[in-house]
Amino acid sequence: MAIGNNEKRVVITGLGTVNAVAGDPREFAAALRNGVCGIGPITLFDTTTFRTHNGAQVKDFQPHATIPRGVSLKRMSRSDLMALTATFQALAQAGLDPVPEALREEMGVVIGGGAGGLLEAEAFFQDYLRKAGRAARFSRLSPVSCAATANHLTTQFNLYGPKATIMTACSSGATAVGLGRDLIRSGAARAMIAGGTEPLCRMTFASFNALKAVDPEYCRPFSGNRAGLTLGEAAGILILESLASAKKRGARILAEVLGYGVTCDAHHMTAPDVGASGAVRAMRAALADAALGPESVDYINAHGTATPPNDLMETRAIKEVFGPRARRIPVSSTKSMHGHTLGAAGALEAVASVLAITEGFIPPTIHCETSDPECDLDYVTTGARPVAPDVVLSNSFAFGGNNTTVIFGRFREEGGAA
Amino acid sequence: MNRRVFVSGIGMVTPLGVGKETFREALWRGETGIREIASFSTEGFGSHLGAEIRVFQPRDFISLKNLRKMDRLSSMVTASVRMALDDAGIAVSDANRDRIGIVMGTAFGNTELKVQSARVLFKEGPGMVNPIHVPNTVMNAPAGHASIELGFRGVNTTVNHQAVSAETAIAYAAMEIRRGTADVILAGGADILSPFFYEALGRFRALSPTAGGAEGARPFDLARNGPVMGEGCGIVCLEAGDLVRGRGAAPYAEVTGWGLASSPSPPTGWPADPRGFLLALERALRMAGSAPPEIDCIQAAGNGGRELDALEAAAYERVFGGGDAKPLITSLKGATGEIFASGGIRAAALALSIREGVVPPIVGLTTPMCSLPFVIGEARHRPVRKALLSGISFGGTYACLVFEKDATESP
Repeated sequence: MAIGNNEKRVVITGLGTVNAVAGDPREFAAALRNGVCGIGPITLFDTTTFRTHNGAQVKDFQPHATIPRGVSLKRMSRSDLMALTATFQALAQAGLDPVPEALREEMGVVIGGGAGGLLEAEAFFQDYLRKAGRAARFSRLSPVSCAATANHLTTQFNLYGPKATIMTACSSGATAVGLGRDLIRSGAARAMIAGGTEPLCRMTFASFNALKAVDPEYCRPFSGNRAGLTLGEAAGILILESLASAKKRGARILAEVLGYGVTCDAHHMTAPDVGASGAVRAMRAALADAALGPESVDYINAHGTATPPNDLMETRAIKEVFGPRARRIPVSSTKSMHGHTLGAAGALEAVASVLAITEGFIPPTIHCETSDPECDLDYVTTGARPVAPDVVLSNSFAFGGNNTTVIFGRFREEGGAA
Repeated sequence: MNRRVFVSGIGMVTPLGVGKETFREALWRGETGIREIASFSTEGFGSHLGAEIRVFQPRDFISLKNLRKMDRLSSMVTASVRMALDDAGIAVSDANRDRIGIVMGTAFGNTELKVQSARVLFKEGPGMVNPIHVPNTVMNAPAGHASIELGFRGVNTTVNHQAVSAETAIAYAAMEIRRGTADVILAGGADILSPFFYEALGRFRALSPTAGGAEGARPFDLARNGPVMGEGCGIVCLEAGDLVRGRGAAPYAEVTGWGLASSPSPPTGWPADPRGFLLALERALRMAGSAPPEIDCIQAAGNGGRELDALEAAAYERVFGGGDAKPLITSLKGATGEIFASGGIRAAALALSIREGVVPPIVGLTTPMCSLPFVIGEARHRPVRKALLSGISFGGTYACLVFEKDATESP
């Protein structure tokens, strides 16, 4: 059966997010435009014994401000709750609250995860270790799996479509968006809730501190004095839909997913390949998938973690892919504002990329304080620019050498990936 | 692109043996990998049986340089990936490394490492956390290690969705090959039996003997009283049809359909009805262009759990009940226990069934819960042209695959 172009083109009809600088997409657009910094002392848990103390924590999170009172939040982790909040926002924007009966069988969920319910499980582990197992309440472990989030979403919205949880460390969210796109494109679903969610927690915080990957103050992407990342927490959710489905419903189309590419360094578990081959191949694969040449990219939403090797590697990769034009493409790391949200990062930055298209601005890189002769691209360091990008390329690179690039575009009737 | 996808190689580290020869012999003979747990004490636990990996020498498969950085889960995966590539007759080189990838499934990752990390952090403090151990705590560590050891740099992803992690990974990989982003993808799943996880499952009353009676795995049996936990890794080498044909390889099977679905469910429990599973089944059959009577064999998800087996059997009664040509139903989980990301091992078993025309028995099944054609006692010798791999998870997630014998296979 031949699938028509309108079934193959996948568009975005809803956005949702909870993060350190915003409680919803509207606030997120304003924060990105104003260069708001969400980094400060972590209060979610006691950081006294840790090497560093700052993070990009979600403030005053009130799930029931968005989630209807009648919805039980029992056995949900902070990670689940952030994702559920963002999903309610995204479905409302898409005009899918409630999801129509006719769409339920063909709507699924794909979530990129990281720590899942580990924040809650830490309380269990402390108990378990103290009492040598005997009296610990194992039931507190039940929300620990990252898959719990997608399970809650399909149950809450009564969905029967495909469901998956992706865990590729810091590229999980981006890969989830790509897989969601492909499931629709291949005909396995008509619409997908796609995104990522990640909570701050002690074990992740301890791991990144042990790796000495954390800047004790705040992250400074692409800056000459950059000294590491800032961990953050967030959920980012996109409603993906076939163009045919969106048109049939008369939904407002925010943007289109034009392409995505996934590669692997096969080099080192935690260090990026300075040769940048994996990142170069991911960007090229996404461009090829979108049937776009490098000249069509208007803005690069960088991985930009602010670790010395990542930003250097990413800069090299961009130069290799975009050639002499690389210096004229605005490149920014929104992690400078909302921190590195690991499993959610690719999805959160997908939301930022779509907002750049719909709201017509290029988000800045804040905290880029000194120059680095080897990082010499246009990092948008003096505030947001009132330029409306048509095509945005978003990078996510991860432990394990995983690289994912997703390309978003302004929706045009006649456009679309080949 | 709309390429065909074949299983051209298999590799596994299982309680029934390492590598396809020992695995296959144990399957056809109806041997079990379930014994009293030997690697740790189960004193004070409600269960004592498990299907552990007993004989596995990672050094036979992995370079020392990389092996010393790996945890046990990563070494099982990397060894299985090497076996699957060797079995397929594929050598990774500069000419193909960017077109070879991996899509791994793991339900829980290395749970032992997680507890060790917690122990160090909470008993000794954050300053004592060793950075060397951090990389192995991420769920995609096995896929990362395997790609470093074998040198392939294509599509690389890890699916982490409970008991359908591996089936979903295989469907995902098939989709990637079909759309042309890779030529070869190693796909499957692995989970390990750790003391902590074993204890936790016991506390959740998720293991035999939950409802009294003798401990044991009895898929689809009237007397079933919960699954026995197992561990292991199974990898299938998926390869694009044009490559298989080009090099004149004889694949085990073609992957012709997959279906993914969900249904509302308690977070760690089972849905009330089989509607979600039926949808996954129908979707897989529809993509394969197959009608239910054409299915010769089902590699079932049933593990001896009361609710899972009832849900699965109810669906088969509905789809395959009545009519004459009923598929033989087998389940590996009476022999390997419940491995959670078990779909890779089960896909490998199904590939062997298709190649050799043998359907292994359900170990532990003596008194079937219903009149479906379960394979009891001895393995059946009968041609398997079309077969179904069923994946069902608590939490309401389903992934089914249709494998077919390659009609154009050279003699």
